[in-house]
Amino acid sequence: MFPIALLVLFYWVGTLNPGDVAGSGLTVLELWIPTILVISFLMIGMIGVPVTFARDREIGWLRRLSTTPVPPSRLLGAQLALNFIVACAATAIVIGAGDVLFGASFTVGIEFVGVTLLAIAELFTIGLMVASIAPTQQAANYIAGGLLYPLLFLSGLWIQPVQVGGLLELIMWYSPVGAAARALLYSAFNVTPPYMTILTMAAYTVLFGFVAVRFFRWE
Amino acid sequence: MSQVEVPIPAADSPPELEPLITVQHLVKRYGDVLAVNDVSFSVRKGEIFGVIGPNGAGKTTTVECISGLRAPDSGVIRVDGLSPQRDRDRLREFVGVQLQEGALPPRITVGEAVGLFASFYRDPLDPDHLLESLGIRELKDKKFRTLSGGQKQRVSIALALIGNPRIAILDELTTGLDPEARRETWDLIEQIRQRGVTVILVTHYMDEAERLCDRLVLIDHGAVRALDTPETIAARAGGNRVRFVPSAPVEDRVLQAIPGVNSIERKDKYVTVTGTGDLAAAVIDALAKMGVHPSELEARTGSLDDAFVQLTRKSAPPEEERT
Repeated sequence: MFPIALLVLFYWVGTLNPGDVAGSGLTVLELWIPTILVISFLMIGMIGVPVTFARDREIGWLRRLSTTPVPPSRLLGAQLALNFIVACAATAIVIGAGDVLFGASFTVGIEFVGVTLLAIAELFTIGLMVASIAPTQQAANYIAGGLLYPLLFLSGLWIQPVQVGGLLELIMWYSPVGAAARALLYSAFNVTPPYMTILTMAAYTVLFGFVAVRFFRWE
Repeated sequence: MSQVEVPIPAADSPPELEPLITVQHLVKRYGDVLAVNDVSFSVRKGEIFGVIGPNGAGKTTTVECISGLRAPDSGVIRVDGLSPQRDRDRLREFVGVQLQEGALPPRITVGEAVGLFASFYRDPLDPDHLLESLGIRELKDKKFRTLSGGQKQRVSIALALIGNPRIAILDELTTGLDPEARRETWDLIEQIRQRGVTVILVTHYMDEAERLCDRLVLIDHGAVRALDTPETIAARAGGNRVRFVPSAPVEDRVLQAIPGVNSIERKDKYVTVTGTGDLAAAVIDALAKMGVHPSELEARTGSLDDAFVQLTRKSAPPEEERT
């Protein structure tokens, strides 16, 4: 529901501001759809996964599971798989609705699929990192909540990198979410994204993954 | 039991009672704290074995080493010949565990939880049947967070039993329950034993241990203080007491000669004799031989409670002096 609400919002903003944005050659909706995708992945992977995981760990549920023949790693795997499916569904809805209902002119291909998967991996890894370092469910809530607003900003929710320019544009481009939004934007129009965006995303995935593994615990 | 390296002391395990679980010289530290210091005991097939001791004595650590949740620092544990660490996967099929602090996710229903756990095991019990026998079938569609303490404990027992285990480890099962719920839970544990399940029961309630356990180990400050039947432990602590008013004066010397008598106390007209064994019969017998009749006779067997206090109050253990 959340991505659809954003979609409608930006369609409305687009009708108020027709034409391209800041000389980018894109409409408001086209420019913001990658951001909407990134925000969807954030909501799914960075809020849902760590808070549930930290809760299950805190109440002893993971420990309880580890006394059965099925290890708790399966539970984590199942949760990640489920959330991954939800993220894929959100992508399909946003792109489909953007294309069909709101007339954005996307041509998605194999590159878009690849970039989407990488973006999901990167943002889910942030969630796993939060799950690893948070001592309690409460802490997971605070950490995820504290990270959310800066990340929403960097993803371009309020203002797109092309609109700000200068140093801030670079910071947004090379942030975990900005790089993902930029790579998604290019690939949604079947254009190969700049290699730096892909490299940035991959580097963040490795970095967050390392922290997540380093501080991981079941109890 | 071919994998057990060290023979079990004969007094602890007569040959006809095969030990199912053996713990030998178990040691576990958490940092500088010695939680379990050289604990040894064995659990026989089909018995309810109690692990008792004050809070922080090392009871939970000990059973968590048995269930494979924790790795011992040293010592040997064998559960039906298997090592809880090395053979974790095989062990989990037949050991059901109820943890001291093991909550379920708040929104899962009882039926979902039991069904989920049933799917984990190769040969589970029928969930409906199990819930029925535990008297919680009507809770099937209730969410875990809406249950009362006693109901949660029952669900916890159901989850420990759903895999049709041969061994059930129950940790502080009745803590926080009201007296009625406790009694009902006791009946459940006896039912579990009747299914042929060997039960390890961790508790700090002496009445519970006395009522349910065939044998028990008393752990304090990480060490074994007593290992025997509840009756023997209670008696060994000097528990039995007989109080009476003799019809004619009786000398201490005469009473002292009665077998089993440890001490004699006099207060007003009352004589109180403390000792072991069938004390009341022995005293009445001896008095009758002298033609003395005891009146207002009152006999009390030693309780595990007394023994517990006495055994855990003993000299400070060496590990405490070090810390």
